[in-house]
Amino acid sequence: MKATSVFNFASQFRVQLALDPDLIVEKNGRFFLINNILRPLAVRDFFYAGAYLGKAKEGKFFPSFILLSMLAKKKESNRVVVDKKSAWLFICGRDILRKSVVRVHGQGKKGANTLVLNEFGECLGFGRIVGKLIGSGVGDELAVRNVSDIGDFLRRER
Amino acid sequence: MSGKEFFINRYQSLGWKYREVKSRQAIRINSTNADDKKLIERLKGLGVNVEKITFLQSGYWVQPSKVSVGATAEYLLGMYSIQEAAAQIPVSLFTNLRSKLVLDASAAPGGKTVQLADAMQNTGAIAALDVDKRRLTALSNHLERCKINNTVVFLLDARQATNLNVKFDRILIDAPCSGNFASDNYWFRNRTLKNIEHNSALQKQILAKSVDCLDENGELIYSTCSLEPEEDELNMDWAVRNLQLSIDEINCYGERGLTEVFGKQLDPMVARCKRLWPGATQGFFVCKLKKRSNTQ
Repeated sequence: MKATSVFNFASQFRVQLALDPDLIVEKNGRFFLINNILRPLAVRDFFYAGAYLGKAKEGKFFPSFILLSMLAKKKESNRVVVDKKSAWLFICGRDILRKSVVRVHGQGKKGANTLVLNEFGECLGFGRIVGKLIGSGVGDELAVRNVSDIGDFLRRER
Repeated sequence: MSGKEFFINRYQSLGWKYREVKSRQAIRINSTNADDKKLIERLKGLGVNVEKITFLQSGYWVQPSKVSVGATAEYLLGMYSIQEAAAQIPVSLFTNLRSKLVLDASAAPGGKTVQLADAMQNTGAIAALDVDKRRLTALSNHLERCKINNTVVFLLDARQATNLNVKFDRILIDAPCSGNFASDNYWFRNRTLKNIEHNSALQKQILAKSVDCLDENGELIYSTCSLEPEEDELNMDWAVRNLQLSIDEINCYGERGLTEVFGKQLDPMVARCKRLWPGATQGFFVCKLKKRSNTQ
């Protein structure tokens, strides 16, 4: 799997990443974005370099939170802004209910991936849209299934 | 030669009277990712109150709270790092870090690497080395969490830093050391003079190799969290005498370095180092070195 996996992943959020593929380096299935200052150092056998973008494993791409933040800054990206309580629950690995969605940007179609942002516009992770994001009624229905969230930094330490 | 009494007597002979110390938790705000004022307000909203550490630029004491500062969204978003107050000093002593080539010789778990990157505003490049792969994973997580993009991490012994074939503008040696009792409850039980001498020898080797890859006009910061002079002033005295280095005056929290240790008179320049006996912070030692020109 080459750097195309990074671009393909970004396109799932409707983002065409304008990154120079020559500056994306792979190391044991992990992708890093470097620059021309880091390049002379990154020719050696490194462990980590520049901005970590994510890893490819068994044909699947697992994005880093640096990449998700990059995508969240793009105006065209799919993203939902959620309320304070739901933002915390999302970090704890929970899904998003429709009533917690404050705003929707980009495509809100069922089956699409969407970034999940808090009220400050900070990216907390991403999920898969599994129900209506907006609409009337109580709103207790599941809207976004959690795929990955920044609480992962704590889970990795266990 | 070990045991609590042995070490307490040593400290007394160096001019410090032992007392129990309880270390306080501190954080450092990552200025690249957060504005101090706004972040402090957000933490307050969560029930976390912080107090400015007067001798640090972006350091804050954390007041006791039911909320863990290691489990907030703000922490997970890289807005701040949990970093002991004294440990925030070394990086702050470098001048003009922007766009520089920096070596972090013993980088894991990465608190100071992230501080360097933050001070550099993600410009230039940092080569971060460590010999422990598991600790490199912790370092990598730390870099990802804080959205650092100017660092290359190597599984490499600091004594092999010359293999990188780079002359660095700035070098940080936060040397592997014996630690101190203020941050380790079992310190007195586990440490012997032999351990300390072993660490001292390792630190000298790291110093010597690091100097070989320091640019002629570069700055080298050496620090340990050890209170033992063999790892601190005696090593600096050795460096001045054997590595053509000079010690710069530094303006930071702490007492002047000892120039007489166990009856041995050290180079007067060693007084320019800073020694932090445990109290407001954990025990610490720091100094700034430069290459001596031939005319000096």
